[in-house]
Amino acid sequence: MRLANVGKDYAKVDTRGGRLRLVYDLLRKRGAANVFRALDDVSLTLSRGESLGVIGENGAGKSTLLKIVAGVIEPTRGHVAVNGRVGALLELGAGFHPEYSGLANIELAAALLGLSPREIAAKRDEIIAFADIGDHIRDPIKQYSSGMVVRLGFAVATALAPEILITDEVLAVGDESFQKRCIAWMERFLDGGGTLLLCSHSMYHIQKLCRQAVWLKDGRIELQGAAEDVTRAYLTYHEEKAAAAKSAGMPLAHAMANGAYAIRSLETSAADITQGDDLSLSGDVYSPDGREPVVVIGIVRADGTPVFGVASDMDCVAIRRGDEHRFEFGLTFPALPLQPGKYWIKAHAADPEGLRVFDDVERPLIVRGRTRELGLVHLAHRWHDGVDR
Amino acid sequence: MAPEAPARSGKVSSARNRALLVNFFRRELTTRYLGSVTGLAWALLSPLALLAVYQFVFTHIFKATSFAGQSFLAFVAVALWPWLAAQEALQRGTVSLASYAGMIRKVAFPHEIVVLASVCATFALQFAGYLAVLVVLVLAGEPIHLAGLVVAVPVWLILVVGAVGITFALAALQVFVRDVEHVLMPILMILMYLTPILYPLSLVPQDLRGFVAANPFSWVVARLRESLLDGQLGLHASDAIALAVALLLFAGGRWVFRRLSPHFEDFV
Repeated sequence: MRLANVGKDYAKVDTRGGRLRLVYDLLRKRGAANVFRALDDVSLTLSRGESLGVIGENGAGKSTLLKIVAGVIEPTRGHVAVNGRVGALLELGAGFHPEYSGLANIELAAALLGLSPREIAAKRDEIIAFADIGDHIRDPIKQYSSGMVVRLGFAVATALAPEILITDEVLAVGDESFQKRCIAWMERFLDGGGTLLLCSHSMYHIQKLCRQAVWLKDGRIELQGAAEDVTRAYLTYHEEKAAAAKSAGMPLAHAMANGAYAIRSLETSAADITQGDDLSLSGDVYSPDGREPVVVIGIVRADGTPVFGVASDMDCVAIRRGDEHRFEFGLTFPALPLQPGKYWIKAHAADPEGLRVFDDVERPLIVRGRTRELGLVHLAHRWHDGVDR
Repeated sequence: MAPEAPARSGKVSSARNRALLVNFFRRELTTRYLGSVTGLAWALLSPLALLAVYQFVFTHIFKATSFAGQSFLAFVAVALWPWLAAQEALQRGTVSLASYAGMIRKVAFPHEIVVLASVCATFALQFAGYLAVLVVLVLAGEPIHLAGLVVAVPVWLILVVGAVGITFALAALQVFVRDVEHVLMPILMILMYLTPILYPLSLVPQDLRGFVAANPFSWVVARLRESLLDGQLGLHASDAIALAVALLLFAGGRWVFRRLSPHFEDFV
């Protein structure tokens, strides 16, 4: 499967006249005058047996991309080449006719795939068993719950033995046990050499099922690479966005009046380290009255979640005096266990009593690493009676 | 869900498209009257009721006993049915894409099949009604030449080809401009009275007759009457022209449809 510089424009029409104008333009084979770029300059290659996750915010162009691969829409620009039988599950209950019964829709779906009635009959029981929706199979689709529609949709798409499976947010709807069956099916499918294109807001599913991932932002590829790296970068982006939204709404917590205790500098041994390396910090603190201040050091995740914090007076450490008003501090975190991602190192200056915090200085820290563990930090652990595979 | 065609290569997809057309056509027939209580009977009853009203108005109020030497009932029935069939086919076909909106947005398939299935289903039902009415008229002693069907059936087929073409264009436009559906109704009404369905062409003033005769549907009406009422089975030069017009309408309508259909997904 290969996409080269694919772009898709959607016509924007607001007025009645605009619609007529659009029809006229389309008939003359000119593009619409006023367009929205849903997708722009997207290039992807996916070989047999590979799995690609597509992530991005709402409206980033994920569904448009999947529709182009599925052949539902033609790209405005660029080329698409797909080799192999495609099974696509686009959005909820896509492609079902709401008035027809589940059984009729199975036949319809099979006809869309070009199966003969005999082949359909052979597959029907398999589909009904996988969907597991009981007698509802005879009811019109419009009476189904969204979960039932997805179950039937997944059952149909998978029973027809696709070589390439395209799914869009389907796992989000089914119940727990159905999700498990879907994931088990997809893992088997991947082991059997199937190609998967999965769009999901669940980073867990992306990481579990996909080796590769692509992050779409405003119709363009923001990042492409190993699923762990891309999902992490995407989560960090969201964490920062959430933090920005939070701080924008808050007045500055600590007024930095002249003559208060202040962090003058803060250095990190590296802004970009590998998980498990040592991290060293050093800096200067200004003391207006020459008394020895307390230094507070903290690490927060990019979204502001505190990870760790410690103050010099907690550890009963005295800050080294440089000159009358200047004090120097330094500390090391050996074998930093933070999980890969983006963090902030924070330093605060407090009065000698440790009662009032005066300053707030931040430095970014990126921790790199290749792990599929979850959470903020790596905790040392050991499996009982574990045997290496 | 949308299992999609494998390679879009000719043979596989044309077999698939045929299967799809059969599937849609069958569903059109079964679902069209599925939700209604009167069911299929209504398809026959409504034109019959209309025919009865015309019979009452024209023979009892206007006192028109015969047209061009034929009984009014047979004269109108032979021509009214194909008109009603075409009218219904156009109206249903124009809005047919809307009920497949979910599929159009999510499945790759040629959208033409939807319109084709809708128009063909309408004509199939109406033609069945037409045959039933002819039989009733014969049994009632009306002068109908059933041998005329040899000509009448090809005339209907040419009508279907032309109607499919017009419906292609209308259905495609309807996706973008919803007014098509509403404008269509009065236009069809006006056209019906401008077509010699309720009156013979010979009653039209000489200087206007050319205009009325130029209406392609006038040819349908004339040929059906000649064959079924008069028993004339010969071919005319006008038949070739009618066939050409029907094919032209088909090609033109399909051209419009194919130009617009890649953009349906966003508007339907």
